[in-house]
Amino acid sequence: MVDVRTLLAAVLGVVLGVVLVAAPDAVIRVQTAGRLPSDRGGEYGTDSTVPTRWRRLVQGAGVVLVAGGLYFGYTLV
Amino acid sequence: MEHVGLKARMAVVGATLFAFYAVAAVVVMGAFGWPLWLVLLGSVAFVGVQYKVGKWMALRSVGAEDLPADRYPGIHDRVESLSRDMGIEKPRLMVARMGVPNAFAVGRKGAGTVVVSQELLRTLDADEVEGVLAHELAHIRNRDVVMMVLGQGIASIVAIVAQWAVLLTGDNDIADFFLALVVGQITQLLVMVFVLAISRYREYVADRDAAREIGSGEPLARALEKISRGAERSRESAVDAQVNALCIFGEERGLARLFASHPPVEKRIERLRE
Repeated sequence: MVDVRTLLAAVLGVVLGVVLVAAPDAVIRVQTAGRLPSDRGGEYGTDSTVPTRWRRLVQGAGVVLVAGGLYFGYTLV
Repeated sequence: MEHVGLKARMAVVGATLFAFYAVAAVVVMGAFGWPLWLVLLGSVAFVGVQYKVGKWMALRSVGAEDLPADRYPGIHDRVESLSRDMGIEKPRLMVARMGVPNAFAVGRKGAGTVVVSQELLRTLDADEVEGVLAHELAHIRNRDVVMMVLGQGIASIVAIVAQWAVLLTGDNDIADFFLALVVGQITQLLVMVFVLAISRYREYVADRDAAREIGSGEPLARALEKISRGAERSRESAVDAQVNALCIFGEERGLARLFASHPPVEKRIERLRE
């Protein structure tokens, strides 16, 4: 029988990883909103722009999550 | 009755956040045997630290300094007058070199700070600066900063509890740690969708309040237009790569739109001119 928690780890890991790779700005905004003023960086009237280094870091974490999800999926096969 | 739309939306979002928080609190009380007062005290302390650290970090990260009253007497006088009209204490005024025209507010009613960039003061006319300042004062009066801190605090607490719930109900193997991490992040993303939706609406409310206080929405609309056009131009000319990196403009789509804290500038300008 399939271990539900491992299956969840595989599916949700891949989903979250893809979100981190595809929309790093949105993820960073979620983490910084309320902790720092959302309009502190970038132009007036817009959301803060995200430094490239942060974006790459989040995308890197996304790749790790996708890899982790795939690994747990593989263990179920 | 003032801000009926905002109050109705806040009631819906507030009830949703409270529901998330209540579930998290019950889980903590059940799992760790904490009494309600300790859960509430812990939550208040958590949000309070976020508020204090956030304000300090925001001012420090841009290198904000007090706006000298002898160099900018007009701005100080206007903010004093606007604050009186809005029924709040005059906030601390600060200036910073941010590389782009910008302004933001931190703090709360009675202990607010408004930071403007030198670039903004150079770019905008006096009435446009007044529109921007009135918008920031409206944020302080409407407690928008506090609302965001509270929203993020609840999202973080719910995410941490979700993480621990996964950990404590598992076998402590590597898949459980991984699942806990993922569930925590997804939970925070979900809760923040509600917080950011209300944040976008609060921008419109601050625009409307600013327009009412200064008698017209035109100066703020012009300010937004001028800054957005400047950003477009600098992006097109590709003169300065570093500035261009800070001026990513244009319509955001999909997830980025869902997780934006500000509505599109074009819509704000349109509403200000309605």
